[in-house]
Amino acid sequence: MIMSNVAIAGVGYTPVFVSKRKDVNIAEMISESVATALENTGLTPDDIDAVTFGNMQTFEGLNMPHLWSAEHILAVDKPTIRISTGGTTGMSTLQAAYYYVASGLYDIVMAVSWEKQSEGDSQVGLAGIVMPEAMVMVQHGLDLFGGGGLSAMGGGSTGAASFQAMSYLHHSGADPEHIDKMAALERSNAALNPYAHLRKKTSVEDIQATPFIAWPLRFGHTCPTSDGATTCIVMSEEKVRKMTDGNVAWITGLGSATSDPSTANFLEGQLTDPAEQEPARIASAKAYKMAGIKDPSRELDMAEMYNGFAHQSLMWLEKLGCCKEGEAHKLLDAGALNIDGEIPTNASGGVFSTNAIGASAMNRPAECALQIMGKIEGGHKIPKKIRKAVSHGWGGMFQYVTVMVLADEPMKS
Amino acid sequence: MAYNKDLETREVQATWDVTTYQYKLDGRGAKVLADGMKEKTIRGIKCPQCGRVYVPGPTYCRVCYIDIDDVVDCSDEGVVMSYCIEMADVRGNPMDEHRVSAMIKFDGADTWFIGTVHGIDPMDVKIGMKVKAIWKDVTEGNLGDIQRFEPV
Amino acid sequence: MQRKVAVVAQKQINSADVGMPRERMLYELVKSLYEEVGISRDDIDTFVLCSNDFNAGHTISNVFEDCPVGAYMKDETKVEADGVWAATYALARILSGLYETALVVGNSQGGSVMRPYLMMDYQLAPVYDRQLGLLNELSAAGLQAHAFLAKKGLTPDTLDEIAARNLADAAKNPDAFNGKAGASAADVAATDMLYEPLRKGHCYPFTDGACALLIASEEKAKKLTDRPAWIRGVGDSIDTYYPERDVVDVKSVKLAGERAAAMAGIGLKDLDLVELSAKFAHQEPILLEGLGLPADGGAASVSPSGGAFGAYAFNAAGLVRIAECFKQLTGSAGDTQVEGAGYALAHGQDGLCMQHNAVMIMSSEEG
Ligand SMILES: [Zn+2]
Repeated sequence: MIMSNVAIAGVGYTPVFVSKRKDVNIAEMISESVATALENTGLTPDDIDAVTFGNMQTFEGLNMPHLWSAEHILAVDKPTIRISTGGTTGMSTLQAAYYYVASGLYDIVMAVSWEKQSEGDSQVGLAGIVMPEAMVMVQHGLDLFGGGGLSAMGGGSTGAASFQAMSYLHHSGADPEHIDKMAALERSNAALNPYAHLRKKTSVEDIQATPFIAWPLRFGHTCPTSDGATTCIVMSEEKVRKMTDGNVAWITGLGSATSDPSTANFLEGQLTDPAEQEPARIASAKAYKMAGIKDPSRELDMAEMYNGFAHQSLMWLEKLGCCKEGEAHKLLDAGALNIDGEIPTNASGGVFSTNAIGASAMNRPAECALQIMGKIEGGHKIPKKIRKAVSHGWGGMFQYVTVMVLADEPMKS
Repeated sequence: MAYNKDLETREVQATWDVTTYQYKLDGRGAKVLADGMKEKTIRGIKCPQCGRVYVPGPTYCRVCYIDIDDVVDCSDEGVVMSYCIEMADVRGNPMDEHRVSAMIKFDGADTWFIGTVHGIDPMDVKIGMKVKAIWKDVTEGNLGDIQRFEPV
Repeated sequence: MQRKVAVVAQKQINSADVGMPRERMLYELVKSLYEEVGISRDDIDTFVLCSNDFNAGHTISNVFEDCPVGAYMKDETKVEADGVWAATYALARILSGLYETALVVGNSQGGSVMRPYLMMDYQLAPVYDRQLGLLNELSAAGLQAHAFLAKKGLTPDTLDEIAARNLADAAKNPDAFNGKAGASAADVAATDMLYEPLRKGHCYPFTDGACALLIASEEKAKKLTDRPAWIRGVGDSIDTYYPERDVVDVKSVKLAGERAAAMAGIGLKDLDLVELSAKFAHQEPILLEGLGLPADGGAASVSPSGGAFGAYAFNAAGLVRIAECFKQLTGSAGDTQVEGAGYALAHGQDGLCMQHNAVMIMSSEEG
C-alpha cells in the first residue's frame, strides 16, 4: 500500500566527473552538486527539510564525513542521516530520501552522494571488504595471490567479475565480442554526455586493441575511478504541485535485496554463482509490482544500470526482466540498446564510463529522471518520450542490488 | 563554481589501517577443511534441514537459519562452474604465463571454490568440465595441499 | 504520523569482550529474538542494519552482517550512524506503507576488536584537525566538560556524582555489563585522570555489543505481542562541526527534542523517563538542559538503565536506549522499572561533543 506519491524534482551534478579534481576539496566538491540541485529546482536552503548523505568512507579513509561537511550539504540544524551500502550507496541514499518523504515525516529531502577516489586508495578500500577473512585462510596455507592449487585472488585484478562474465556468456549464449560491442556502445554514449568521465567515441576495434586482464575481460571492459558528486531533491506530491511546474520524475517503484557475499575462498563457501544475481530479480519484481508494471520488457522505455564491467549491462537487462534470458546480446546486435533504440541502455555511458563510486548508483536514477523530464544536457538525450524507466545499483561483495522505477506520472491512488 | 583544471589544492597524508583491529573470525569451517586435507579429503558442513553442503562451512545455514555442524566429506573431483584465464596479476601487470582460474563445485558440495587448472590448453577449458584435485605427495593439513586441478 | 508503529521486541548483548565474531554475535542475538517472538526470518519485511565500516574494520560492513541476521535473499539496507537513526529509518519505511515489519540491528566490537577513540580520530576533519593531532574524543570531551563546569559554576564533584548514580543503576540492569552496585562519588573520584577534568569513571565503557529491535505496523504489532511500545515522535538535528558552536547549550539537542515532542503531541515535561547516550558524565546535564528538563530530570527518571555508563557499543548504543525505553514502557525493566512509565525518550548521538543528536519518543499507550 503506497501512502503517498514521491518525485525527484531536480538533480545536481558536479560540473565534471574526472580522475582527479585538484581545484576543490571534498566538501567543496560535494557543495557544487548541492548548489546545482537547488539552482535547478529554484529552491532555497530553507526549503530543505532533511538531508540523506552517502559515500564509501573507507575509500578516502574518512569516518563520518558528513559531520565536517554539514555546512556544505546545507544540513546544519536539519535532520540528517548517513547511508552506506557499498556500490549501491548512491541509490540507497536516494531510497532513504524516498522513504523519508513517503513516510510523511518530511516533505522535501535532499539526497547527497559522492566519492573523491583520487583522495584515497581504491584498492585498499576494496581489499578492506574481505581482508581479515582472507588472512584466516592464509593462516591455513592459502596462497593469497594465486599460483597454488587454491588461490584467494583468483580472477586477477578483475576478481570474481571475470567468473561472472564467463558464466554469463555460457548461460546466455553471448560471445566475448558482445562484451566488446557493449563496451564500445557505452563509451560512445559517454562521449555525448558532458558529465561522463571517459568521453571518447570508441569503436569495437578500439576496445579489442586493449589487453586482456583475465579472459574474457579486457582492460577496455573495466570502469574508471572518478571524482564527483550527485544530489537529488525528492519531494512529496503536495510540494510538487505547490513548488514546481510539475515537470518531475515520479518514483513509482523501488526495492533492494541481498544474497550471500562472493567469498569463494574466504572463510565460508558461497551458495550462489556470481552471474545468478537472484537479488536483482527479487528487488525488481517488487519494484515493478509497486509501479504496476506487468511486462517490463514491453513497458520500460529505458534502463540505467550499474555496470562496473561491460558484460554487466547485458546481464542486468536480463536479470531485471527487460528481456528474456539470453536475449540481451540479440537486442544489442539489433541496435535496440542504442540511444535511439527500443530500450536505450546506459545512454549516459553507465558506471562503466563514470565511477565516483558513492554517487554511481544515484546517477542511474538521476539519469532516468533527467530523461523523463527532458532535461538531459548533451547528445545522449533519448529522442523518444520516456514514460517509464528502470534504474539499478549493484554492490556489497557481489551480493546486493537496489532497483528504482521512475515514471512521468504519479501512481493513481 | 566551475571546474578549474589549473587550480590546485594542497594535499596532506592520512592513513586508515586495517592492522589496527584485533579481528575475531570464525575459523571452524576453514580448520575442518584444512585438517581434512591431511587425509586428501575435502570436508564441508552439511545443513540437516535443507541438505546444503558448505565448503568451508559456516556455523549456521544461510537459508534455514539454524546451527549446523555435521562434517561431511565431499569428492576431490568437481565441476567447473565458471573460469577465467588470468593474463595480468592483481596489480594489472601482464603475466608471462597465462593461468586458468576456475570456480569449482566439488561433487557433494553446494558452494564453489577457486582453483588453478593445469594440464589443458586454456582455450579448451569449458564450463561444466570435470576436474580433480592433484594433491601434494606429502600433505600437511593446510590449504596448500592441493597443488593444482587437472581435467578428469 | 500517517500510521501507528510500535516496537514489538528487543534483544541486546553487551560485554567488554563478547568472545564471538560479530557474525556469530549477530546470529545468536537475532535468532533469540525470532524465537522469543515466535517468528522466522521470513516474517521480516525489511532489515535495517546499523554499523560503520571503520568500527567493523571492513569496507561495506553489512556484507558479512546480512546473512547472520537472516536477510539472505531479503530486503536490506544499512545506516552508518548511531542506532537511533537506524530505528528512525525503519520507522519511515513502515510509515511509507510498503512494509509491515522491520528488524533493526546495530553492532560494533569496541571492547575487543576496534579502538573506539581511534575511530573517533578518523572522524576529525582531514586537512586540519586530523593533521594537527591535538583533538581527539577525550580532549574534546574534556574541553566540553570544562566549559560546562565553568558556565554552571560547578566542580568536578558533580561529574563524580552523575557517574556514580549511573554505574549503580547499571548494576541493577542485567543487559548492562559495566555496573557497580552501590557505586559512590568517591569510587569514581578514585579512578584515573585521563583528560582533566575527565576521569576514567566519567567515560563510557569500551563495549562489544549488538542490539536488535523488531518494529511493526499497528496491525502486525498487535498480532505479535500484547505489550508493544508505541513510537510517537522522532527528531534529529546536526550542529556545525566547527568550534564556534556552543558545546554547552547544544542547539541540535534542543531542536531534536522539540521536533520529536511536536510530532508526539506532548511536552517534554510529560516524559516519565529519558534514556540518554551521555558518553561522558558532563553530557547528561547538557542533554537534560537541551531537552528543557531540570538537572535532576524533574518528573522524568534519568537513564534508569545506567545509560551509556552500563554499555556503549557504537551503532548499537542508540538502539539499546530505545530497547531500555521499551522495557520500561512494557513493564519488563525488572529492578530498574520506573513505576507507571507512560512516556519515554531515547537519545543517540554522533560526532565530537555531541555534534549530531537524535531522539525518539515512545509511549505505553497507543495514543
Ligand atoms: Zn539449510
